[in-house]
Amino acid sequence: MKNPLPRILLVLGLLAGLTSVSAADGKLMITMMPKAKGNAYFITCKVGADKAAKELGVELLFDGPTDSNAAKQNEIVENWITLGVDVITVAAENKEGLSTALRKAQKQGIKVITYDADALPDARSFFVNQATPQGIAWGLLDEAARLCGSEGEFAIITATLTAGNQREWLKLIDERLAAKYPKMKLVAVRPSDDLKDKAQSEATALMSANPNLKVIVAICTPGTPGAAEAVKQAGKVGQVKVIGLGLPNENKRYVHEGVTESVMLWNTSDLGYLTVYAAVALARDELKPGAKTFQAGSLGSFEIRGDNILLGQPFIFNKGNIDQFDF
Amino acid sequence: MNASGSHSAGWKSVVLRYETLLFVVLVAEWFFFYHYGTTTNRRGTVVGFGTLDRQFDILRHSCEIGLLALALTPVILTAGIDLSVGSLLGLCAILFGKLWHDGGLSIPAAAALTLVAGALGGGLNATLITRLRLPPLIVTLGTYSLFRGLAEAITHGAVTYTDFPAGFLFFGQERWLGLPTQAWLFALVAAAIWLLVHRTTWGRAFRTIGFSPEGARYAGLPVERRVAQVYVLAGLIAALAALIYTARLGQAKADAGTGYELFAITAVVLGGTSIFGGRGSVTGTLLGVAAIAVLKNGLACLPVVIRLNAAEEMSGLLTGALLLLALTGSVLPKLWSSFRSRHRRT
Repeated sequence: MKNPLPRILLVLGLLAGLTSVSAADGKLMITMMPKAKGNAYFITCKVGADKAAKELGVELLFDGPTDSNAAKQNEIVENWITLGVDVITVAAENKEGLSTALRKAQKQGIKVITYDADALPDARSFFVNQATPQGIAWGLLDEAARLCGSEGEFAIITATLTAGNQREWLKLIDERLAAKYPKMKLVAVRPSDDLKDKAQSEATALMSANPNLKVIVAICTPGTPGAAEAVKQAGKVGQVKVIGLGLPNENKRYVHEGVTESVMLWNTSDLGYLTVYAAVALARDELKPGAKTFQAGSLGSFEIRGDNILLGQPFIFNKGNIDQFDF
Repeated sequence: MNASGSHSAGWKSVVLRYETLLFVVLVAEWFFFYHYGTTTNRRGTVVGFGTLDRQFDILRHSCEIGLLALALTPVILTAGIDLSVGSLLGLCAILFGKLWHDGGLSIPAAAALTLVAGALGGGLNATLITRLRLPPLIVTLGTYSLFRGLAEAITHGAVTYTDFPAGFLFFGQERWLGLPTQAWLFALVAAAIWLLVHRTTWGRAFRTIGFSPEGARYAGLPVERRVAQVYVLAGLIAALAALIYTARLGQAKADAGTGYELFAITAVVLGGTSIFGGRGSVTGTLLGVAAIAVLKNGLACLPVVIRLNAAEEMSGLLTGALLLLALTGSVLPKLWSSFRSRHRRT
């Protein structure tokens, strides 16, 4: 008639007494969070980040949501806080939402750096800026204008309508459009959730809704090959031109087939490399607020403007040069 | 305290009761993660699963799914299902943000209206199910898309409401009397649902309807009214979960609560409630929620899982395995007793 529960609990309690405490090996623990884990853009970031971590002898944890999901980003940051990591680096899907969690990390003595997409300035020490928003927005719009002869309809495919960097680029595109290209008409801005297949279906819908569409501009990397595939399947090669941000490897095929005119990007692997170097320097107190330049291993010196570490100017890949790059 | 318990023979019935077994699994799981998931970091502080902060994180992260699971327990007891609760959570979060931010209402007024909206959303399900006699699975599959679509339409998929006042964020981010604030709200709702299901004639009616709606009708139970009530209640609780979700993240976005309904259903079924209705308990649901939450958070602390960066994938995989194991396990005593009775006869 005895209840065996107390006895079971006692045994389990004894087991717990044997708590293993792994030896602290003294390595710095740096974490890196992409907006979405499966996005090729962030996978190449990781390649550079891994290289830097190896050179510096630190441990790198790379984890993020499988889709661009702000709530999951928060949970992963909170997980890292209780794991007691040294530096958290993130590409924020949602500025305000993630900043709450990042401030909590800072309160516990964890250093925070953002890269690719910034959080609120008080929630991080530095932002590794891949290119100035103006450089990206104007570069893409000018390229689109060149392709359509500065007049006619064009459409934009973005990652999500809420992402901070995408919104900023859109704003700059709008401003320059009004000032410099009055005959060009932006017919739609559609979100692709950072997914290639969604970008493809959005591009297909855009083309059937706007028969006079001349150019599709994708301002997120999965959007460019997605839109190119849609144009190809619709048999509108040459009629609708695709440009956008993109990795050379994902777009080579379309560039050679003449579907995609050109893709623009910075070196994403360098972005990951620079981010990890900055994170480690911050943890070792070698990088302090107010610094003007920063040395990052084999990449040399980078300019710091305010609290932005600048990666440099974006690069345009086209038929002539795209085969020289492999990432 | 539970419906399926036979009170015949002492400790054997206590041990073999499903909830007891699930509790043992939960405790074992907890100690496993405590043992393997706690480490000391470079700076010499204890980190990982064995910290109080982590335990509070588990509580905070499981409150919304826990609330949805509590909402779904009465629904599933009546042999119904509600797939729309996650979408309704998203819609309520957006409505709350819009009423406060664009509508200029105070936080309490916006929250009250959001709860009303949640109940109305549940009411829509209830009306379609009881008046038009449509199957709950199809009705809530429809409202699942409808509510999420409305949330996206209201915000054009673009607006995220943020900058909520600190007094509101207190409910999702701070502690009150030592525990995360929302844990108290959760406990309150859990106690209320437990009383409703196990200590009132209403609760008995839910189970009777689940066993046999025709029988319940012959017995003079107001079947339609009771069924309608569980869906309205589910909507109301989904709205409360939306408020807690918004307070925890400090943002209301149209994708809030995506996929939560499936986690909640998993927790209810893992807790021993029959998906065919009639049998189950609130205690089981709470244990089911806890087992999934501890598994999810614990995995993220295991060094091997951290090195592989596979916490999310592993937790999905193991939650599935746990559910299938539990379902298999719950059939075993029945097989065993039928085997024994056959054996005795020969």
